[in-house]
Amino acid sequence: MPGPEPPGADRPLNVSILTQGAYLIVSIHTALDDSQMLQLREHLIAQVGRQRSRGIIVDVAALDVLDSFATRTLTELAEMARLRGAETVVVGIAPEIAVAMVRLSLQLNFVHTALDLEEGLELLGELTGLSDREALVRGSRRAD
Amino acid sequence: MTDTRSQPGPDDEVIVELVPMVRKIVASRIRDPEVVDDLVQETLARVMAARSRVQGDTLEPYAAVTARNLVASLARGNDRARAKTHLLADLEPSESPAEDLLRQEESSLLAQALDRLPTEERDLLLAHEVHDQDTRSLAEHRDSTPGAVAAQLSRVRAKLRVEYLLIQEQVEPPTDRCRPVLRAISAGDRRRQRELDAGAHLLGCDCCSTISAALLDRRASAPRDDDVRVPISRDADVVTARQRGREAAARLGFSSTELTLIATAISEIARNIVRFADHGDMVIRTVQDDRGRPGVTIVARDVGPGIPQLREALQDGYSTYDGLGLGLPGARRLMDQFDVVTELGKGTTVTMTTWARRTGADQPTTGPGRDTGSRDTGTRADQPPTRRSRGDDT
Amino acid sequence: MMTEQADMNGLLLPELVAHLREHRTALRQEWATRITDAHLLSSMTAQEVFSEATAVYDNYVEVLETGSVEALQHYARDLSERIIPRGVETHEVVGIVLLLRDVLARSLFEKYHQDFALLNRVLDAYEPAANRIANTVAVSFVDQRERVIRQQQDSILELSTPVLQVRERLLILPIIGVLDSPRANQLTEQLLLGIRSHRAKVVVVDITGVPDVDEAVANSLVRTVDASRLMGADVIITGLSAKIAQILVTIGVDLNKVHTVGDLQGGIEEAERRLGFQVTRISDART
Repeated sequence: MPGPEPPGADRPLNVSILTQGAYLIVSIHTALDDSQMLQLREHLIAQVGRQRSRGIIVDVAALDVLDSFATRTLTELAEMARLRGAETVVVGIAPEIAVAMVRLSLQLNFVHTALDLEEGLELLGELTGLSDREALVRGSRRAD
Repeated sequence: MTDTRSQPGPDDEVIVELVPMVRKIVASRIRDPEVVDDLVQETLARVMAARSRVQGDTLEPYAAVTARNLVASLARGNDRARAKTHLLADLEPSESPAEDLLRQEESSLLAQALDRLPTEERDLLLAHEVHDQDTRSLAEHRDSTPGAVAAQLSRVRAKLRVEYLLIQEQVEPPTDRCRPVLRAISAGDRRRQRELDAGAHLLGCDCCSTISAALLDRRASAPRDDDVRVPISRDADVVTARQRGREAAARLGFSSTELTLIATAISEIARNIVRFADHGDMVIRTVQDDRGRPGVTIVARDVGPGIPQLREALQDGYSTYDGLGLGLPGARRLMDQFDVVTELGKGTTVTMTTWARRTGADQPTTGPGRDTGSRDTGTRADQPPTRRSRGDDT
Repeated sequence: MMTEQADMNGLLLPELVAHLREHRTALRQEWATRITDAHLLSSMTAQEVFSEATAVYDNYVEVLETGSVEALQHYARDLSERIIPRGVETHEVVGIVLLLRDVLARSLFEKYHQDFALLNRVLDAYEPAANRIANTVAVSFVDQRERVIRQQQDSILELSTPVLQVRERLLILPIIGVLDSPRANQLTEQLLLGIRSHRAKVVVVDITGVPDVDEAVANSLVRTVDASRLMGADVIITGLSAKIAQILVTIGVDLNKVHTVGDLQGGIEEAERRLGFQVTRISDART
């Protein structure tokens, strides 16, 4: 059920996507370029639809920057995911990246933010109204 | 220290007679009177040291050559580490046979390069550099003004540098435009470079981009050994560029927030190249301001369509692609200095700089005079002058 | 010790160096005396002056000998580091190196005054070097002083924006004094680091002590709020006067995004509510 997702394009996407019950937990391991960001977005949207996920957590701690394009892609991801019934939480934004983002007046619309994975899971629980147990049960039912 | 010992007297007088000539050579090339004094002294010291090896009648040319070499090595030293290095004496090690060979090769290249100059220009250059005629007497000969001669000399030198490098690299410029562009760069003539659209030519011409790198290196006022050039044509290059920028700035001790601001600005600008111009490049350069504060300058060039409405493009929210339109204004907000030059159909150059907020914090602090012990003289300079220790042999 | 042999091979600086080595004790003593007479380095004891004088003297001779000012630069930097906290001023440092130059020049004059031509040449060799040395020491001192001043400014900035943890996951940032742009940036950075290290979920920023809130300050506050939220922390701003609220509205700040509470006490209570703390009096338990 968990495991790295093979990318569709020429270069491997250094991202792992873990299905944790009703949630998708996405860890980005290195800097991504624009086409890789788009690729990731497409991939996640497809997966949300397939798995009827209720929430996505994107851990961006390893990203070197969150510039206008990355921010826009995350916003679009969140917007599309919401239309498909999933909330998106971005976690792991480092202080210096937060500073750069506000300097650029970048807004993460539709996107929720939390300090780290743990906080992100808690926030998703509040947002979806699912208890940890419910999220897991749903996940195990879907796993066949 | 040399062991040669001789009596003061006649020898010294011969040396003293050299002073006006040496001073003239040095003073014609260097403005700072103190530096002139230093170099004159140093020249004399070297001539004296070499006294036993040099024949009487060749002493004068020897002194002249020494003086010129010292001036040249001072200029090189200044290029390497401006301002802070106080060169009391030239500490470069004495030459080895290999260096001698190298120099011969160099002078053969130089001779070939000189050969390529028109006779009149060659004569002018030789008259000035070798026979040491000043610009005024050259101007009189040629019915011209000293200023015009000086300008001509500098053009000829620029030309010579180009030919020298072409010979050294063993290349023949592929197009008619190459030589004019290279000469303009060699002369540092920005107006001419613009007229010729030198930036665009360099992007397209491998030969010129190699040669110009050497020319720019020579012209640089700050050390540019660590210039990093990143070609930009694909999405992945954007990532490479911002990582190189971050690395360069990190070496200067920028804070992690500043590093992220720089990387983000690079990302925005590099993306513009990929989106609009197809290809271009970024040069990341570490610089210093007048007060020695370190900074990072990023020059992004492309040969794209140019930006039709620059003023609008610099405003938030403007974009011709379906983005947030933050490329230029965003980068401008992240950097201390920001400058865009764009020409329709020709291309765009963005130059942006950020200065480190604090300097000094990374200065090494070494112990008091610990490494200053004088080696064989028996004085006690190697004793650390702590507050407790009092002077010794009183 | 360098012997007194006639080291007259025509190299003037080596001869000079030998002279200075030979008369080290006397010249150094004379210099130290003249420093004291001129009331320079008055914050240091005579003994300290003498020991520094010794070190500078030896470094000085070494520069003349080797032509390299590097060691002297190191020493000068170190010396500056030691004497700056004691209030030694730039003019004193420049004064003492100029004194040394004079002392040495005078001794050269005494030695060579019979041979005027030679004296001139000796002085010609000596003076540029001596000026260079004086310059090096003065520049090192000024650089070091600027560095100390900068460090002090930085630490004052840090001191004046303390990030306090009052409860688990709750930080308070009382801002007192003028909030200019560098300080606002610094404050934001510190707050964000605090959010990460304390895993804070709510931050109360109290601006009661900020005298002037103009558009720039308001904007930087909004940026602080936004940046904190990106790291998962909500910000409550307290001490916002009616006038400031008006400014925020005028410049188009979305006050829905900025949560404000009248005073610090109210802000903390609100924060505690959000964190799920229940606050009850324990006065009953006391008796």
